[in-house]
Amino acid sequence: MYATADMLLMTPEAHAVEQTPVEVVLVRAVLDGDRDGFARLYDLYAPLVHGILLARVPRAEVDDLVQDIFLHAYKKLHTLRDSAAFGPWIAMIARNRAVDFHRRSRETVEINDDLRGSEAHDSRAAEILELIRSLPEAYRETLVLRLVEGMTGPEIAARTGLTAASVRVNLHRGMKQLREKLGVMEGL
Amino acid sequence: MKDDYLWDKSGQPDPEIQKLEEILGTLRYQPKPLELPVSRRRSYFPLLAIAASLLLALFAAGVWLRVRNQSAPQPRQAEVISTPSPVEEKKPEQIIPKVVQQEVVAVNHKPRHRPVPAALSKSEREEALEAKQQLMMALRLTTEKLSLVHRKNTTPANLIKNQHRVG
Repeated sequence: MYATADMLLMTPEAHAVEQTPVEVVLVRAVLDGDRDGFARLYDLYAPLVHGILLARVPRAEVDDLVQDIFLHAYKKLHTLRDSAAFGPWIAMIARNRAVDFHRRSRETVEINDDLRGSEAHDSRAAEILELIRSLPEAYRETLVLRLVEGMTGPEIAARTGLTAASVRVNLHRGMKQLREKLGVMEGL
Repeated sequence: MKDDYLWDKSGQPDPEIQKLEEILGTLRYQPKPLELPVSRRRSYFPLLAIAASLLLALFAAGVWLRVRNQSAPQPRQAEVISTPSPVEEKKPEQIIPKVVQQEVVAVNHKPRHRPVPAALSKSEREEALEAKQQLMMALRLTTEKLSLVHRKNTTPANLIKNQHRVG
């Protein structure tokens, strides 16, 4: 990247601030007691967490879990070592929470069938979502973030911490498998 | 290129992907406000209440001790009896300085800085006992109020409302 005239006129401090990722600024602000900063982080990352959960848990549970995960993140933010890694960090919390959800569900009551049943005849969207959920984990998360949450490949890579190459591969292979499944479904 | 559209929505749109985006877009995240827990300001009320109750308890204990002392039998005062020396008895004509042997008959180790109270009359004692009972009642009430305050303070104000419906 080449320096523009504006950048050349900036002081070194202003330049550093300009290049600091917004997550870093916000995380530091929250750690300094700025609650609004966390609200901005929530606005930025709620779609990512929502997409990760939607690829793994019943839809009826997703919204509550999103709130839970952000509340947990708010309490544990001081444990985040690298402020720039907020995205991968909260993505990992969301994946772990989804695993916990399924573990607890097995331990208590088998309610997933009911929830899946109500989802299945909900709409065409729910049917396609079920097909995506049947794909390998790496593909389903990337596809949900792309097709449901409307994020681009580079955005997915930046937010999740995955490499752009991995995201690209996941998108193409996942889309290929989804097309095959959709073709089978159309044929029935 | 169709691959570019899947990657970053650039290039020629893929109709199939567009259709999927349209259908699945209905499941997209709907912004909702996040309810962060209210940060608790440090309240000094419980500490003040505890301090006040301790003071009250001390005061009550002091009053109770005083009443108890008053209702106890009158302590005997140390008596000093002067006895004439045998020398003085035998030789009354001798002019010698008067040597007085002091004999301690009974010693009571009560604090000397305050006068020994006189015995209470029956009505005074009843009045004191009544005062003591009122103090004890006040102490009991204070304790109850304190425990109520403690319970209120220990109850989490902002429970996470979004609990799973599982189990």
